[in-house]
Amino acid sequence: MDNLNIGRHISGQFNEDLERIINHVMHMGGLVEKQLTDALTSVCDADEELAKKVLENDYQINNAEVSIDDECTRIIAKRQPAAGDLRLVMAIVKTITDLERIGDEAGKIANVTLESLSGKHKDLLSNLDNLGRHVLTFLQSTLDAFTRMDFDAAIKVHKSDDKIDREYEALMRQLMTYMMEDPRSIPQVMSVIWSARALERIGDRCQNICEYIIYFVKGRDVRHTTPEDFQSLS
Amino acid sequence: MISVTPKNLSEHNVKLDLNNLSPEQVALEIKNLDLYYGNKQALQNISMSIPKGQVTAFIGPSGCGKSTLLRCINRMNDLVDTCKIEGQINLHGENIYDRHTDVAALRRKVGMVFQRPNPFPKSIYENVVYGLRITGENNRRVLDEAVENALRSAALWNEVKDRLHESALGLSGGQQQRLVIARAIAIKPEVLLLDEPTSALDPISTLTIEELINDLKKQFTVVIVTHNMQQAARVSDQTAFMYMGDLIEYSDTNTLFTTPLKKKTEDYITGRYG
Repeated sequence: MDNLNIGRHISGQFNEDLERIINHVMHMGGLVEKQLTDALTSVCDADEELAKKVLENDYQINNAEVSIDDECTRIIAKRQPAAGDLRLVMAIVKTITDLERIGDEAGKIANVTLESLSGKHKDLLSNLDNLGRHVLTFLQSTLDAFTRMDFDAAIKVHKSDDKIDREYEALMRQLMTYMMEDPRSIPQVMSVIWSARALERIGDRCQNICEYIIYFVKGRDVRHTTPEDFQSLS
Repeated sequence: MISVTPKNLSEHNVKLDLNNLSPEQVALEIKNLDLYYGNKQALQNISMSIPKGQVTAFIGPSGCGKSTLLRCINRMNDLVDTCKIEGQINLHGENIYDRHTDVAALRRKVGMVFQRPNPFPKSIYENVVYGLRITGENNRRVLDEAVENALRSAALWNEVKDRLHESALGLSGGQQQRLVIARAIAIKPEVLLLDEPTSALDPISTLTIEELINDLKKQFTVVIVTHNMQQAARVSDQTAFMYMGDLIEYSDTNTLFTTPLKKKTEDYITGRYG
């Protein structure tokens, strides 16, 4: 948390407020990570109970988003943060939106577990599991970079989303083949596609969070920039 | 419905390159300015260009030299015996510290408003026309028109139009400050210097003055010193951060308050220990 440089305000109360918000974001990140882990485990182990638990627990992430948003609004109203403090608050407000959406995507994955898949299509799920593990590592690295507000790590993680996109495309091709071979499998394959899509979206949301880290550290808005612009940062 | 396209957004953020202003864009050019009070150096090698028709704010902690620099612009520091100044301040390419400069004429071009409103113990009308009378203007019609224009520009006309000949001392603090601004702009200066113009006013009067500053920049170049950083952020187009007599950072206000380049600036505007 030292990288955030929040402990040196003349106002101790301001330090405390910012520290509390950051701790809340980290807690929310932990919740999201657990939800995704559980959702993937539920798919892999066909554990319906766990899947239901994931869906039930989504409210915790939603509550965290509302509560952190509220704290950020209060900081803006009372402290009128500037420069690094302002960028931090803006980065947090945007990050928690993406975290909440990642929570929703985890719920979509858990839903697949609750749909009965015939034994014939179980190997489809093993492919989903592979993609899922990579996305989970990606999320963990993103949260780690956020906790330390580590610019280099954010750049590295941002770039590695390409791998996830490639893996997603490969899985899509495989699923298309299944559907063409056996049209009766389309409903089941579709639910796997929705999960794969959810995982791919989680990758994109992690990339967004990396962009907010870069915005906080460097003051550069790298959203919607070309890969060449992005290259020039590092 | 207003369409906010990326193009509109980028147009809204047009900023001047303060290091490469064309001569037509520059109102004041400060070059290598050093100022000493006795043996103590209060300003060190200040160089900056203040753009025309914009609001430029000086911020910094007490004693950093921001008011001293502001007072240099209309040679108010000449009144301090121990003050010695080196370097140049150019207004239209002419150094105001040149030996042949007519200081009274300079101060007509560069008006100033202070922290505490200082109306003269005269009527509202006489306060506004004071500068014009000094320049020999006594035509009633000209004076009446000047009073109305100046009071309208200072957003005070509607409040005082029916009591122009009552004492200015009967006005509220916020009204007195706007009257003083009207007095300053009645003689049509080119530059208006505001030295903490709202520090003695309540929040509503402060907002009225801030709104007024935004209107004034259409006619004048405004330079403001303020302790209130949010005020600098709200009203100015450019902000200069000064610290212990040095100009630390000078850039467009949006950049300075979101992504300052210097650590000292960041520490000051975020309220951190230096």
